[in-house]
Amino acid sequence: MAERKRKKIALITTVWGWRNHANHMGERFLNGYPCDGKWHRPEMDIVGVYVDQSPVEGEDLSLRRAKKHGFTIYPSIAEAVCLGGSELAVDAVLLIAEHGEYPDNEKGQKLYPRYEFFTEITEVFRASGRSVPIFNDKHLSYSFDKAQKMVAAAEQLQFPLLAGSSLPVTFRLPPLELPLECEIEDALMIGVGGSDAMDYHALEAMQCMLERRRGGETGIAAVQLIDGDEVWRAGEDGRWSRRLLEGALARSDSRSGIALTDGRPQDLAHDGTLQELVENPSAYFIEYNDGTRATLLLLSGAVSDWTFAAQVGGEVFSTQFLLPPQPNVTYSACLMAKAEEMFASGVAPYPVQRTLLVCGMLERCLESRVGGHVRLATPELDVCYRAPETSQFCGALQ
Amino acid sequence: MAVGPPINRGIMAAQNKSTAKRPKIAALVTEYRRYSHGQNIVDRLLGGYGWESGWHHPQLDIVSLYVDQFPESDLSRERVERHPDLKMCSTIAEALTLGGDELAVDGVLLIAEHGDYPVNEKGQMLYPRYEFFQQTVEVFRNSGRSVPVFCDKHLSWNWDCAREMFDISRELNFPFMAGSSLPVSRRIPSVDLPWQAEVEEMLVIGVGNIDSYCIHSIEALQSLAERRRGGETGVVSVKGLRGDSVWRALDDGAWDPALFEACLCRSLNLKPADESNRHTYPEREDLPGLLDRDPVAYQIEYADGLRATMLLMPGLVKEMTVAARIKDRADPFSLLFYLGAGHEMQPNFFNPLCHHIEQMMLTRQPPYPIERTLLTTGLTAAGVESLWQDEKKLVTPHLDIQYQVDEASTFRRT
Repeated sequence: MAERKRKKIALITTVWGWRNHANHMGERFLNGYPCDGKWHRPEMDIVGVYVDQSPVEGEDLSLRRAKKHGFTIYPSIAEAVCLGGSELAVDAVLLIAEHGEYPDNEKGQKLYPRYEFFTEITEVFRASGRSVPIFNDKHLSYSFDKAQKMVAAAEQLQFPLLAGSSLPVTFRLPPLELPLECEIEDALMIGVGGSDAMDYHALEAMQCMLERRRGGETGIAAVQLIDGDEVWRAGEDGRWSRRLLEGALARSDSRSGIALTDGRPQDLAHDGTLQELVENPSAYFIEYNDGTRATLLLLSGAVSDWTFAAQVGGEVFSTQFLLPPQPNVTYSACLMAKAEEMFASGVAPYPVQRTLLVCGMLERCLESRVGGHVRLATPELDVCYRAPETSQFCGALQ
Repeated sequence: MAVGPPINRGIMAAQNKSTAKRPKIAALVTEYRRYSHGQNIVDRLLGGYGWESGWHHPQLDIVSLYVDQFPESDLSRERVERHPDLKMCSTIAEALTLGGDELAVDGVLLIAEHGDYPVNEKGQMLYPRYEFFQQTVEVFRNSGRSVPVFCDKHLSWNWDCAREMFDISRELNFPFMAGSSLPVSRRIPSVDLPWQAEVEEMLVIGVGNIDSYCIHSIEALQSLAERRRGGETGVVSVKGLRGDSVWRALDDGAWDPALFEACLCRSLNLKPADESNRHTYPEREDLPGLLDRDPVAYQIEYADGLRATMLLMPGLVKEMTVAARIKDRADPFSLLFYLGAGHEMQPNFFNPLCHHIEQMMLTRQPPYPIERTLLTTGLTAAGVESLWQDEKKLVTPHLDIQYQVDEASTFRRT
């Protein structure tokens, strides 16, 4: 039997240094990764690379990896995807534009050049008269407008586009999947970290659960982001559910407060210590077009993990999205398995509209904050799509 | 929801009966300090813990506490102040009789892990499980009745003591539950060995030292092995290996390399050979340098022909993973026993253990056979003994222990 032709991949990245996404994600295609009890080696090779910056601190790993793995680093994106020739010469593009030194905008967003990189890639597609799949790490862009243009370009040029966070595809404890077409009455996600880096992950994890509700995704009607003591007052006013807080926190394995001082498990939802532990909480309120409501609480100080709870048919269901630690950060292998799946099959395993909608959700939430924590109507976020029928996360029980 | 059914119907039924009597429990603990087993288990049963989608309040009362040692970091005195209904007792008998003449509790927790006890020449810490147990059953005998006993981890460091404890539990006919938290912890993926599978070979890779840690690996292994076709048939021999002998055995193909790879690939903490190139699979020549100390192996032959190997490779990984070769199945079955992701986390693997303890106290039905822990206690002692006797293969007619388990899984699935 003839040996199957190995696919060629171009990696387009902002910076390739120690512990950044090019390192954690991109290198899975160089070394393989643990998958379902095997060390899986993708039948594809990174052959052309573009790196925008050198790390401010530490080594530029791209040079060392190029030497070891035999790929070529090109001075431009076009050259990387053409492998130095005059037209598209790879079978897939891995676009990783997280980390690096880029300016911030007034909303606190780091202006990573995902859209700009993407546009340079699609210009080559247009000039070559053919397109190949693109995987875009994390959100499509800090800007919903730019993200829309990226999705439109993929539709126009008819290539599979997959994007997003690793949280939707990492392990869940327990492996909860809400049934398609269930009635979600209320939902709460709890996350940690700051805005426009970690909140994106939490919002996309929340969205991958919400999109399974009856009627599918209908888009978002309005958003609001509040900070500080207002978050606790909103809880007292019933704007987010204490029952769901209890449900989500029951899945947390974080250690804080008395758990640190004397080991006792603490009932954070009821023991009154949450407000002491969380110095600066935030709440992201999402109102969907079909009337469904969901809330993201960022509770740094009390928790260090990512949990979710939803009320479905009067009952609470909850889980933890597991982010395994250094050195392996195997959530990145979970995500790259999805990129590889698309590169091999030419079919995106879940819709890029999820990522598009979450880009818009986050940008509008940050605008709500900048505008004085106001409720913002979001008629432009009428992104409708259906969730995949098959569970897409690692360790899902099929 | 795709997370399996609730595993503790007995508890739910008991909770629904508002008139149900809350069992009174005596806790016998070697040491009660932050993160000791005593603290972890007793605090969860006193104050509750996260379970499924809520905070679970156990339907029992810890009424008495015997503590053997009081280091400076002791927390038991603080707990007695915090819980006015909890009585500190100076003897085990007092904890069981609540100062009266006869047994006055409905269950006993025997948690003899952690503390400062002598270590014998074989490297075993001589925790007083047997001694606590003897003092417990003395009260049972004097009172003419017995109540359920939970013994944390293995029954004893010593096989004869363990066998005697088992025999006494049968003689006095009380529900007896023991063992590690590993068999009931979460798993990634969240699956059990297929019921009645024809298992040809098994491998577990764990961490830590002999005795105190290998019991965890062995019991994790056994909680799967016992589900194989025909049930548990007992063990005929155990051989321990240490250091270079382990590497030679690996090179000689003493265990299936696919099982070894499966175990390493289930780990979330596989140490990279090159710190600057972390997302790589270690090469054979890298392995010895990645361990924190010499590796240990126990090669176990079961009576029905199943071969199993326990490897301790601390440093290479930080957790316990298992793999099994199942007849007519191309890829190994494998999973991770999830105890935490490695950073600062609550040891919530005690939650399912506490849930099973509560269930037994409420229903008087142990969730799994005590024979499992009798066998793993014997396996652990035999492995330690084999190492002590310069890796001599030991035939183990005393481990002719047969038992059957139900198809229902008891690990934390929901």
